[in-house]
Amino acid sequence: MSLARTLRHIQRAGIKQWWHDLNYIGDAKFGRLIGQDQFGNRYFENLNPLDELPGRHRWVDFAQHDLNATQVPPEWHSCLQHIRNEPPTADKVMQNMSPPWKAPWVENLTGTRGAFKTYNTAAPKINAWEPKVTDRGA
Amino acid sequence: MSFSRSPALLGLSRRLIATPASASRSSLVAYRLLSTSPRRLASLGHDHLATPPPRSPRNTGTLGAGAVPGSDVNPYKDDASAIDKAVHLFFFTEILRGMWIVLEQFFRPPYTIMYPFEKGPLSPRFRGEHALRRYPSGEERCIACKLCEAICPALAITIESEAREDGSRRTTKYDIDMTKCIYCGFCQEACPVDAIVETQNQEFSTETREELLYNKEKLLANGDRAEAEIAANLHSDHVYR
Repeated sequence: MSLARTLRHIQRAGIKQWWHDLNYIGDAKFGRLIGQDQFGNRYFENLNPLDELPGRHRWVDFAQHDLNATQVPPEWHSCLQHIRNEPPTADKVMQNMSPPWKAPWVENLTGTRGAFKTYNTAAPKINAWEPKVTDRGA
Repeated sequence: MSFSRSPALLGLSRRLIATPASASRSSLVAYRLLSTSPRRLASLGHDHLATPPPRSPRNTGTLGAGAVPGSDVNPYKDDASAIDKAVHLFFFTEILRGMWIVLEQFFRPPYTIMYPFEKGPLSPRFRGEHALRRYPSGEERCIACKLCEAICPALAITIESEAREDGSRRTTKYDIDMTKCIYCGFCQEACPVDAIVETQNQEFSTETREELLYNKEKLLANGDRAEAEIAANLHSDHVYR
């Protein structure tokens, strides 16, 4: 945004991180690391209004490189989309609501072999005739 | 005759006395965000600091026989004169002020949110992809009452049910055609057991149409993955439900 802010963030984040961010998010960003999910995505936050515009104060640094927004698991998704105020590492409500049978998160696999293919879960009501020959005792 | 939209000389001098002189000068050079900047070029005329002018003469209610009510109040006293208005009309000052606004925006940071990394705010009531929930014990909630199927205005839900081995009624088929669905949220409002919900997931776009014909297994899998987020959102809204 401003040259002073860019230079300040380069100095804080380091040249390597700045170059990395410039290749992905396209901006010199620096913030507090608020957590890391099970996939290795790192989440940052900078609430200083002189550093970040409101609405751009939380961001994710993806572990993978295909820019897939669904690689964010739902707990962190609610933090990233500002649904919940606190990250799931500090959110007592979300921690208490997590059931033991929670399934692992899978990203949107459309276009790959893992894409969802629908099928019928009920038994068919119209069946082909299957002739049954009764035993005639011959 | 002045080019600025200032009130009469009396009002201007009152404003200069009321506000410290350095404040108006420093606000020009200070770093301002768009969300916090005052509307500098909006029409003046509303001053919080100034005392309101008296609306009526002191001896209110003592009008004589020849008095005309309201004749002592000049509604155009503090307003721009006709010459002022003509100057603003003929010199296109509105266009100049509009161009100045555009020039200010040119030097301000853009409000673009870089999408896959940053996302805009979303409500806990957001209606996205559907999911079927389970009880904390792992038992599925849906009891095949078919209220969601009845209320669905797009007729997107298809349910078939059977009795299970233990005698409880469960669905054997719970299909939602996501291409028909209009995401109105009636199904989650109709559900008596909070089984069908619309999650906050909006990134379920697919390449083929067939992938959007969800069946029961897919909906249950959605719920199993996102149960923590769904339950936290329902908890944050439970006082309003």
